[in-house]
Amino acid sequence: MKSEIGDLLAPASILGVGAVTPLGRDLQGIGKQLGRSAAATAAHLRVSDEFLSDPAIGGRMRRADRFARMAAVAALDSWAGASDACASVAKDRVGLIVTSGFGPHCRGFRFLDGILDCGDSSALPTDFSHSVHGAAAAYITELLELRGPSLSTTDFEIGFEQAVLLAQCWLDQRACDRVLVGAVEEIGEVLIHCASRMLGGEKIFVPGEGAVFLTLGPMDGEGLARLEATAPPPQVDLMMLDVPANPSPATDQPTIAARHTTTFSPYFGHSASSSAFQLLGGFLSLSAGRPLGRLVQKASPAELGAVDKVATFKPSCDLRAASLLMTKA
Amino acid sequence: MPFTYRTRSALPIERSSVWIAGVGAVSGAGPDVASTLDAFWNARRSPASTLPFESSIACPTFQVAAELATLPPAVNRCRSLRLAMKAVREAMAEAQIREFSGDERVGVCIGTTVASQLNSIPFYDAYRREGNPPLDAVYDYLHANLAQGVAELLGVRGPRMTIVNACSSGTDAIGVAANWIRAGMCDVAVAGGADELNRVALAGFWSLGVMSSRPCAPFDRERDGLNLGEGAGIVVLESASHAKRRNKKHGMELAGFGAACDGHHLTAPHPEGRGLDAAIRTALSQAGVTPNQIAFINVHGTATTENDRAEGKVIARIFDSGISLAATKGYTGHTLGAAGGLEAVFTVLGLRKGWIPAGVGFENQAEDIAVAPVRQRTAIGGEFALSTSLAFGGNNSAVVIRRIG
Repeated sequence: MKSEIGDLLAPASILGVGAVTPLGRDLQGIGKQLGRSAAATAAHLRVSDEFLSDPAIGGRMRRADRFARMAAVAALDSWAGASDACASVAKDRVGLIVTSGFGPHCRGFRFLDGILDCGDSSALPTDFSHSVHGAAAAYITELLELRGPSLSTTDFEIGFEQAVLLAQCWLDQRACDRVLVGAVEEIGEVLIHCASRMLGGEKIFVPGEGAVFLTLGPMDGEGLARLEATAPPPQVDLMMLDVPANPSPATDQPTIAARHTTTFSPYFGHSASSSAFQLLGGFLSLSAGRPLGRLVQKASPAELGAVDKVATFKPSCDLRAASLLMTKA
Repeated sequence: MPFTYRTRSALPIERSSVWIAGVGAVSGAGPDVASTLDAFWNARRSPASTLPFESSIACPTFQVAAELATLPPAVNRCRSLRLAMKAVREAMAEAQIREFSGDERVGVCIGTTVASQLNSIPFYDAYRREGNPPLDAVYDYLHANLAQGVAELLGVRGPRMTIVNACSSGTDAIGVAANWIRAGMCDVAVAGGADELNRVALAGFWSLGVMSSRPCAPFDRERDGLNLGEGAGIVVLESASHAKRRNKKHGMELAGFGAACDGHHLTAPHPEGRGLDAAIRTALSQAGVTPNQIAFINVHGTATTENDRAEGKVIARIFDSGISLAATKGYTGHTLGAAGGLEAVFTVLGLRKGWIPAGVGFENQAEDIAVAPVRQRTAIGGEFALSTSLAFGGNNSAVVIRRIG
């Protein structure tokens, strides 16, 4: 029997976590809100601008848009959280992987505004340079003075899983000593318009935005949790599903055995990088020692116990290594 | 601290050979490898003076005139994917792989820029005017993820990644695919880059003031900007063990890859080429070779003032000033996400054929660059060659390719 992709690589150690979400930027605060019931009544879930102003990025990102800012604050928070574990690491040994489905499309439409309003030869160069996917990564490398490999990737389905897998690969091959890996999604007027029409006006999928970044290192020291991209694991304590905002137990039930099944979609919304946000909820559940989010399937009292092993799962995806498995350190 | 090149036995990774089983290329230089070589041999370039779309910008571009195969309706309007598939099929034919069985572990890693953005001007114009435009362009965009599209068309389920590192995307994609094979994550990987000509990218590069209104002149004293092009360059990589299982011996190896960022500026390269320097040295180190073992470099050579100056400084710093340089964007234009893929293919062709093409457009040595592309078709010997890429966002990458036997 052939090995699954994820089985070939050592798990990575999560050394730092940073996020900016519709629930805020402070992980403790986000965790508290994930412990409460949520009703996804909003048409879309946006990140408040108040979470994106930070003296650390101030003037150096004066031309940047919300997409790049969301990525930058989450990356900086993740790196700051891992500061002890990264203090002695040379910056040319730190890799960066930023993934997004739709990228900085709002800035892209601003550039198109320039073309339509002023003509092809008179649109603003700043809008063009910020409309490319790699703009966020460029800011992060500049702010953190990173000198290792930097990759921006795009996928509408498994971008974050594949980014984690590559980070594991880089760490395994000692191409890097640390990898900052993250996902960022922005919602704008056009995307909301398209989503509402393409989904037939049903409110079960609520577009959301934000950024989640993890600082990963090899499994050779203390960490907050261990993480690996893998084939769907056979048994976990908590399964996180990217399901409609008002799920029913019959919706997309996985074939994996889990004591609890939950979803964080009602809190963070849906996006091409949903699994990054599901993983954030899973990480906060590990920290809390109990399942957070909106429980789709609850364990019976006899099955209750600590939550030590969580996984994301995409029922629609049959690719190998399309799950993220996180276990308590 | 001086950089120390590691010998092959002291490489930092568990290194198994990654063979280049086949290559495919489609660009303004030709619709396939054979016609590209013919254009290179005759130093013939064919810039188009008209654009395939309406625009007020007048400039030469390098276009693919060849008929592209029809794809299933859901993806047939994505020209980048059609370009990619043309090169994929050529590379697979050379690799003697007709189809993949569902059982094989095959990865797909493709770089692009245009295909990653919803930049349909008609759609957005209609949205602004009417608020309720047809969504065809959106559906097309959602089907245009290149790695996903290629993987689905080939029916493979291994690792997949679409890299959007701007102009280094194709080189980065090949490097990532080599990482996968070395890690044992797949046996075969289809990797490279693809990009189509697009009005938005044209307006963008024009707005940055980096486009030339005449055919480009990489590394030349009078260089004044790039020309855009379109195309795809694909390599089929294969693990040594898989090649052995199917009794294949290949003549080329993907021997080394390096990537490093400048962390300097959103669009301009670091003036001293800091990241490129690190990327090249890492690639050489992974290949276990010293600079004097490199027979030639297929340079990024966009023909912009800043890029060529920074790249030239790095090359002059690492290599002898007499190093042979192939500057091929004079034949293809700057194909953005495809460039790294195409230029890796051209590097393979240079090693395979034993010659590199004249740097068309280059006439006069620049005062600010100590190295220069070859002026005529030039015979080369040696076992190793290098291809370099620089990109928006300060991304830099390099691959070392080795000719076996």
